Amino acid sequence: MSQYDVVVIGSGPGGYVAAIHAAQSGLKTAIVEREPTERLGGTCLLRGCIPTKAMLHTADMLETLKKGDEIGVMASDVALDMAKMHAYKAKVVKKNAGGVSYLMKKNKIDVHLGHGRLAGKGKVSVEAADGKTQTLSTKNVILATGSTCFHLPFIDMSPARVLDSDGILELEEVPEHLVVIGAGAVGTEFASVFLRYGSKVTLIEMAPRVLPSEDHEVCAEAEKSFKKQGMTVLTSSKVTDVKADDKGVKLVVETKKGDKTSSQTIEASHLLVAAGRAPRTQDIGAKGTKIKINDRGVVEVDEFLRTGEPGVYAIGDIVNTAWLAHVASKEGILAVDHIAGKNPRPINHRLVPMCTYCSPEVASVGLSEEAAKEAGYDVKTGVFPFSAIGKAAILNKTEGFVKIVADKKYDELLGLHIIGPKATELITEGTLAMELESTIEELLMTIHPHPTLAEAVAEAAHAAMGHAIHI
Amino acid sequence: MRSEVVMPQMGESVTEGTVTAWLKEIGDFVERDEPLFEITTDKVDAEVPSPLAGVLVERLAKVGDTVEINTVVAVLDTEAKAGEVSAASHEAASAPAKAASASSGAVSASSGGSATALASPAPTTTSAASSNGVPSREELRRTRSTPLVRRIAQEHGIADLSPIEGSGMSGRVTKADIMAFIESGAHQGTNGSTGPIASQPAQQTRQAPAAPPITLGDRDRYEPLGPQRAAIAEHMTRSRATSAHAHTIHEIDFSAVFKARKRMKAEFEERGVKLTYTAFMVKAVADALRAFPVVNASLDGDQLVYRGDINVGVAVALEASLIVPVVRNVDELSLLGVARSINDLAERARKKRLKPDEVRGGTFTLSNHGIFGAEFGVPIINQPQTAIISTGAIKKRVVVDQKTDAIMVRPTAIFCMSFDHRTIDGATADAFLAHIRTTLEGWE
Repeated sequence: MSQYDVVVIGSGPGGYVAAIHAAQSGLKTAIVEREPTERLGGTCLLRGCIPTKAMLHTADMLETLKKGDEIGVMASDVALDMAKMHAYKAKVVKKNAGGVSYLMKKNKIDVHLGHGRLAGKGKVSVEAADGKTQTLSTKNVILATGSTCFHLPFIDMSPARVLDSDGILELEEVPEHLVVIGAGAVGTEFASVFLRYGSKVTLIEMAPRVLPSEDHEVCAEAEKSFKKQGMTVLTSSKVTDVKADDKGVKLVVETKKGDKTSSQTIEASHLLVAAGRAPRTQDIGAKGTKIKINDRGVVEVDEFLRTGEPGVYAIGDIVNTAWLAHVASKEGILAVDHIAGKNPRPINHRLVPMCTYCSPEVASVGLSEEAAKEAGYDVKTGVFPFSAIGKAAILNKTEGFVKIVADKKYDELLGLHIIGPKATELITEGTLAMELESTIEELLMTIHPHPTLAEAVAEAAHAAMGHAIHI
Repeated sequence: MRSEVVMPQMGESVTEGTVTAWLKEIGDFVERDEPLFEITTDKVDAEVPSPLAGVLVERLAKVGDTVEINTVVAVLDTEAKAGEVSAASHEAASAPAKAASASSGAVSASSGGSATALASPAPTTTSAASSNGVPSREELRRTRSTPLVRRIAQEHGIADLSPIEGSGMSGRVTKADIMAFIESGAHQGTNGSTGPIASQPAQQTRQAPAAPPITLGDRDRYEPLGPQRAAIAEHMTRSRATSAHAHTIHEIDFSAVFKARKRMKAEFEERGVKLTYTAFMVKAVADALRAFPVVNASLDGDQLVYRGDINVGVAVALEASLIVPVVRNVDELSLLGVARSINDLAERARKKRLKPDEVRGGTFTLSNHGIFGAEFGVPIINQPQTAIISTGAIKKRVVVDQKTDAIMVRPTAIFCMSFDHRTIDGATADAFLAHIRTTLEGWE
């Protein structure tokens, strides 16, 4: 039986990054993955970030080509071929998952396929698909078991036309009418994909705003854009009943406007339930250990991702931090550094970039204007629209804006919020600036190349100081 | 046998000295106690006598180098003959000695280590910069801060971030670090003060306004402030920012002193003492200080420290600066003793032979503006004292007798007293000066 320094359970972006970093830190490392396809990469690579962004890219291309005649590209008969789209998506997934396997070999990480569980102090059992079980001996364990789709208890998910975010990836036809429950990142992304694939889309959100965790102005801009694109958006709305059969779905939706509540029945071809995700902690062998799991299934950890059980760490979607691939990766590195005795700095979770790949893209880091005010800051903002940016006009994508939230006292950069083209790329400028504790001055003093979309960030900084140049 | 000569500790409060002149060349023979080099500190200019007889074989500090106390600055060979110096010694003589630390000096003083090792001592964390221009650890730390931290520091008047433990990447001082530092109140003692906080009544100091930029003309030139000038500049600015300066001005008739001096002058000269008007003034001031202890006091935070000794500093103008030697326990001296002390201190001050301790411990200061005929001057308090008197020239002036209205010509001098209104009221200041006036005008 091999003696490991670290065994990582789960090969998603938290787990595989932790394993590589552990191996690079000189620790003898193994990774355990239960994925029946025997592919590594977890939700992110197999059913999340990568395949969905591939679908989004197809949608972007389709939209661009459909608007081609506006910029002199005469592409007639532009149409979506779902089969080819799936093939392309599968190729991208295969390439990325293969890349993770290659990295495991390169870093001499033992890969054990099967369901990993804690099996007593310093032990991890791995139950293979055929039922054979082996036990690994290790000094440390990193639990990185990730999350699964959250299903609303009153909705029967068994009918073929009722889908979660895993199921919709395999949809072979373009839905005639797709109803999406949940206007968070997952819901808005699929709504944006299928709207541009040609579906009629109805987006339903319980909160008064789409993308409810974002800055109010950004939410309003996103909703305006969705509607302009032809999407039906119902906010402050609750689905109270769902009936589905092989032909379609019928939903009852209650919408609240002020004190009044109205009810309507929506008939659609497909329903996507995108109401969130749930941590996968039911069968990890935590019973009998000092690991605390709350009633939402979340593992309690300290700032170094340590659970209550000595030598057992937990990262990613099973702990109470933002459930994002890049956060999981960062947590994996932190946990390993702690195991390796490197005295690492805890993660500043206030500086996690949030990215939603809907159309237009939305990205943010730091505090929204409302959150900054609630936190007691004397807030000033600077907003600059992409409509005044040359590169945005060139790209024919002038929707959206960049918004800076800052503290009046020191001009401290508190938040950057972007809705518009390449927002998810541009946000890194704000993340870096905030990591360096920049003030607005550093942001506007930084020379931004022209013509680029990034100019909007500098202009927003100018606007926050009361002297935007190009508007 | 090779022996090292170190920068002497010129008084307990002196931590470094600047070599201003070498009085011997490499290869010169120097007698024991013969002046070897001159130094200046923020307190005093002095000649440093050679501790041993021997040939000067190495000079490890150049003129202008500021080194900490106990740093080796020269090597003597007690067995060599004049002119015997090795080539290696010459090379070492040009090496910088700036970064030597007190600890390395202390070790080398007893170890008799090689001259080469002494010539290139390890840089220390206390030096502002290493000699090759590479920033010291402190300087790097100072720059390891974020833009936001620098803004916060600016707002709170924190000029030096080095006392703050940085928790950011590579020890960077972050917002959380500086906010914790400010909340702890520790920043109150980091803005240039060198002594313990409790002894600095200057804690309410306000920042000096930034000087407007200087436009240089073709014929303008820069010259750095010398250590004494820089120290005076700092002390005076700090004093202005510390004490609530108020002033009172009295004219004093010196007729009685005139007569007394005329009467006693020859006798004093026979005893080798030049009797100056300053001696009378110092004596009168000492008597008044005994009568008004609050003037012979210092403010320490919110407490007044009444000084037990009466030590009067007498400002002596030097060529390019000013020094204030202290006549100690003046109230215990006769006029002859006061005059002798003043003569001795002033002469040695001009010859740069004062010991650092002789410029410390003053409880009150007397400054004479009258040398060039000034009517009076308005002095700045010498911190942490609480008052200072300056005198103008003793001149014949027309005086009206207050009883008879008779107009007469009398030798008078105008005294101006600057006092810290936080501790002394105008009535006390006037009574104090009136006491001096009564003493001088009634001298027998």
